[in-house]
Amino acid sequence: MTEKCILIIDDDESIQTVVEFGLKMTAGWEVISASSGNEGISRAQADHPDMILLDVMMPEMDGLATFRALQLNDQTRSIPVILLTAKAQASEKRLFNDTGVSGVIIKPFNALELAEQICNVLNWAESSN
Amino acid sequence: MRDFQARSLSSQDRLRDEANSIAEDLQQQKAELFAEVTLKIRQSLQLKEILSTTVSEVQRILKADRVLIYQVLSDRTGKTISEAVLPNVQTILGSEFPEEVFPTNYQTLYAKGRVRAIADVNDPKSGVASCLVDFVTQFGIKAKLIVPIVITLNPNSEDQNNKLWGLLIAHHCQAPHDWSEFELELMQKLAHQIAIAISQGELLEHLEDIVTDRTAKLRQVNLESAKLRQVNLELQQEIAERKQTEDALRRSEEQLRSITNALPVLIAYVDAKQRYQFNNQAYEEWLGKSPESIRGKHLNQVWDCYDRMEAWVNRALAGEVVIYENEIQWIDGTSRSVSVTYIPHQEGQGKQQKIKGFFALITDISDRKAIERMKDEFISVVSHELRTPLTSIHSALKILATGRLGRLTSDGHQMLEIADENTDRLMRLVNGILDLQRIEAGAVTMNRQVCNAADLMVTATEAIQAMAQQYDVFLSTAPIEVEIWADADCIVQVLMNLLSNAIKFSSREGRIELTLSCRADQLQFEVRDWGPGIPPEQLERIFDRFYQVDSSDSRKKGGTGLGLTICRKIIEQHGGHLWVESVLGEGSRFIFTIPPLNYGELQQ
Repeated sequence: MTEKCILIIDDDESIQTVVEFGLKMTAGWEVISASSGNEGISRAQADHPDMILLDVMMPEMDGLATFRALQLNDQTRSIPVILLTAKAQASEKRLFNDTGVSGVIIKPFNALELAEQICNVLNWAESSN
Repeated sequence: MRDFQARSLSSQDRLRDEANSIAEDLQQQKAELFAEVTLKIRQSLQLKEILSTTVSEVQRILKADRVLIYQVLSDRTGKTISEAVLPNVQTILGSEFPEEVFPTNYQTLYAKGRVRAIADVNDPKSGVASCLVDFVTQFGIKAKLIVPIVITLNPNSEDQNNKLWGLLIAHHCQAPHDWSEFELELMQKLAHQIAIAISQGELLEHLEDIVTDRTAKLRQVNLESAKLRQVNLELQQEIAERKQTEDALRRSEEQLRSITNALPVLIAYVDAKQRYQFNNQAYEEWLGKSPESIRGKHLNQVWDCYDRMEAWVNRALAGEVVIYENEIQWIDGTSRSVSVTYIPHQEGQGKQQKIKGFFALITDISDRKAIERMKDEFISVVSHELRTPLTSIHSALKILATGRLGRLTSDGHQMLEIADENTDRLMRLVNGILDLQRIEAGAVTMNRQVCNAADLMVTATEAIQAMAQQYDVFLSTAPIEVEIWADADCIVQVLMNLLSNAIKFSSREGRIELTLSCRADQLQFEVRDWGPGIPPEQLERIFDRFYQVDSSDSRKKGGTGLGLTICRKIIEQHGGHLWVESVLGEGSRFIFTIPPLNYGELQQ
């Protein structure tokens, strides 16, 4: 599978770290991080990642506001976004799906299974190291 | 001559004086004799004794052979009722004589006071009918003196009427006898005394009758008075008791009203026409509507939110006890959460049963609801806040376990496994708490769709198959193609939970079956295991949150203690039931029902 660039926007640095390790380790993808919505939008504009993992619960600009901002931006509108949320159970994914995001991954997740989950959601061909 | 004449005159005077003296003595003796006899007669008030005394005295004085009293009876016949007779003379006491012996014309004459003295019955000049001569001679009668005993009826009235009561008769049986004036006078006076005695006796008898009658009446009156007194007493007692009861009832009502008024809840009684018949004081304090102003009013005149109540009211009036929650507007305009209970007031049994109305109890649960909301929010926030760090820990441990960040010693691996297992457990616990909180708070609505029961059974079985293999348990299922109306994810979650429990509690090489039976009114899923079973007293408690049959189970089996609680909530939200049947040592059957697909409901 071709190398992908994934942007993780989460105010929790430990999540950024485990996601980076997990995706690199299991799929060999490059991971760039942002700790807030605004920073994430800037990184998305600058680095144009293949997809964005976006945390829902963030201070100031939360995940849904960030997603709406990305959608309003021509440079980032086409980038698929998967929400990371602790606010819902598995049975409640559909509530977030209705917002127009590509998918929802419920916390807690296993970073080593994250690449597989992303491929499933975005219909990317799977590959692993 | 003159001397002779003088002496002769003197002698005549003496004789005249002696004769006068003798006559006076005789008169004196007769008077004393009458007085003596009368006294004897009057010594008794008993007629029988009077008559007996009379005949004895007459017989003694007149030296007659037989003296008797003949009573004339109402049918004109007669009877000898008293008699004094010499020992050698035939007695005729008790003899009854026909009317012919004493004809009516004779009776009339006697009633007028006729006295008949017959010196010799055989003397044709005596005037005794020849037919009666034979009759009287058979009793040896030679001479007889008959004096009537006449009593005067209505003596105080002008219309006096004499009645012949009987006859006083004296007989001489040895020889004819010329009856003297003295004898006639004696007989007449005594007959008169007898008549007086009879009249007095009759009067006495009448008086006694009157006294008896009056006494009886008096007794009756006394008896009735006693009865009346008793009735009166009973009435007074009843009145006193009724008053006591009424006082007690009034006190009880006052007490009840005091209690209902003191309670911080709305209490009411509503009749079958939905009109208030009773309200406590809280109606005024809560709603600003006094009980007096509400009494008799229809529910919809009192409550603005009647549309939210109507269905529940109808169910209560159909005989169902209903409990529901509502929002009502307070006197200050704020909205309050209340719990409402309606208890039907039923009268009669069976077909005679009738709903007279219902009792309403409304409790303010606003504070409780606020606390529940705070609790839900707290659980939600805590759970969310736990999930992010759990993601980091869980992922970090998994990355470490790959060994790609550096090799670990076997002890290091062991420690890592412990951390990993407990992180898994902690994640399940957090997810379980969050699931339960959301279901109980009503935040989770079942996304019911038409789905195939067989698909759900297969999905759950396949998802749990790896675990079954890990525990070396044989898992089988018999899927049935039937459409159901359910939230597929939730039903799979329930099936997986029941199957994973069955696996965990089965011994190695144990067997588990998942089956489905279709009935007209419901579909019944069953997870059967042949594990250790559950003690009877714990069959219901295992559905309580955090309850474990064995408290060490949660650690040994890795359960959270929330799975069955969540499963039951999910099934109840589908309108079904979840329960367990178990025999210790033989295994358990976890069964849940789901109502069948209702196409009518579906089209709506």
